[in-house]
Amino acid sequence: MSDLNRIRSEMDAVLRPEGAHPDRNLKITRRIFIQKSIMTGAAAGAATCGLFPIMNGIEVAYGAEAPFSFAWISDTHLYPKTVNTRFVEKTVQAVKDVKAMSPAADFLIFGGDIAQLGDPVELDLGNEILKELTIKKVYIPGEHDWYLDMGKKWEKLFGDPNWTFDHKGVRFIGLDTISRAPDYWTAKKMSPEERMGHMATLDGTVAGAWAGVGKDQLDWMAKTLSDWDKARPVIIFSHNPLYEYYPPWNFWVRDWRDVQEVLKPYANVTNIHGHVHQALYNEIGTMRSIGMLATSWPWPYAPEGVPALTTPQIRTDPGNHYDGVGWNTLTFGADGRTETKYNIWGRTEPLATAEADDGTADNVNQRVHPRIADNQWPY
Amino acid sequence: MGNSRRTLFALLATGACVGVFALAIPAAEQAGAEEIQATDTQIAHAKPHTAEQLKAFNDVFMEEVRKGDLLFHGDGATAKQMGVNLSATGMACAMCHPMSADIHPHEFPKFQEQIGKFATLRDMINWCIEKPNQGERIESDSDAMKALEAYMYWSNRGSVLDPGRH
Repeated sequence: MSDLNRIRSEMDAVLRPEGAHPDRNLKITRRIFIQKSIMTGAAAGAATCGLFPIMNGIEVAYGAEAPFSFAWISDTHLYPKTVNTRFVEKTVQAVKDVKAMSPAADFLIFGGDIAQLGDPVELDLGNEILKELTIKKVYIPGEHDWYLDMGKKWEKLFGDPNWTFDHKGVRFIGLDTISRAPDYWTAKKMSPEERMGHMATLDGTVAGAWAGVGKDQLDWMAKTLSDWDKARPVIIFSHNPLYEYYPPWNFWVRDWRDVQEVLKPYANVTNIHGHVHQALYNEIGTMRSIGMLATSWPWPYAPEGVPALTTPQIRTDPGNHYDGVGWNTLTFGADGRTETKYNIWGRTEPLATAEADDGTADNVNQRVHPRIADNQWPY
Repeated sequence: MGNSRRTLFALLATGACVGVFALAIPAAEQAGAEEIQATDTQIAHAKPHTAEQLKAFNDVFMEEVRKGDLLFHGDGATAKQMGVNLSATGMACAMCHPMSADIHPHEFPKFQEQIGKFATLRDMINWCIEKPNQGERIESDSDAMKALEAYMYWSNRGSVLDPGRH
């Protein structure tokens, strides 16, 4: 067992009360049943005790008071129009698609990284495109939005980076997992552009482990949840996943163990996150985590640490810039079930059902190493 | 020619001697074409290598890795210096391939579905430059191609050689 899997397993053992699962009412649908028959290894083992990897739509009982749905768009990574029109087109398309939802979504969550380099022109462009959507919109920031002016423009356009509201029996929390990076810029006398450049490079080695929730925000979250019935559903939006997937790319928050401690008493917690640009599913303790699509480009699965409960997204054709990307819907049905849909443009089956189509299959022969050139003067 | 390469030539010259192997083996097979100009009477591995020689060899390689790393991560100054335009979209190679993941240089050559033919890593690099990045293809044996290739292999060191894998 790898160190990461051992840590996850130990954390899960500590956090999960005996016999408890993130959800006790998973329904086996035909689609899941078919998928189950071809699953192998750890995922199959998990399935036999009631935990299913995410499908095209996962269906779980949720206990919402009334049927509703919401939409997720994130990681549009807009450059100014003069630099890149493809990202603009796809953001516009996602907005059109959400507008066309019937019945309409109750709200849109924008999950961060609206801009590529935190440029006010980029942030304004995203804001303008999203104005086309007249339903309620809530926003959390991504690191690409923040580190040119330390969030000033973003907050002016979109408000507080964390917030909470209740909707039809579900408590929603938006977290800021990006603004608490350790200061790597002052000592090196970096310009705002240099600071932003390091932050905008996923495999950079200068910004380090920047993703975190922070003690102050954890206290705020604990207080926010203190008046909430521990059996009722909680959905937490964050840019980064609230568990340890792959730290070198900040596919985690560095204080994820503390997050789990705060959430431990709550039986029905779902973390919905961006940043990874890929379909992901994991469970730790009583929290499930679901990774959402980007509209801009898909990241590859990390070379290690892909949760065993994840059914990987199908391989992408990078020759088609609409492939491997899109947006998500979560629908809370009248029967109490929730369906999470990956809306990848042009794909009816976004998740792989065979190894040859699986975006993680080649990890078996691959070893990769951190870059060096960003740590050498003057970079 | 970089400083490290000049150092390498000096070290090669210092350690060189004339031997029967130099007559039997064409010089072009012993070292790169440029080195032959300076060392046409020498053979490689003539004496046990010194630490300085080994460092100089490695410096030549790592300088290519460094340049490749910068090109791969969209460094405009390096691209300009090397006379290439790898992207017209703001996209850099590293945006789909952080730490050069999911390139799998160790799986080439192979039938490449997007290109529709048997392809080398260099074919695929040019495909990525032209399609997702909308940049200008580079010569297959250009300095930029060699630097990109050096970075990708270096970053994927330890991977299992698996040519032909889909």
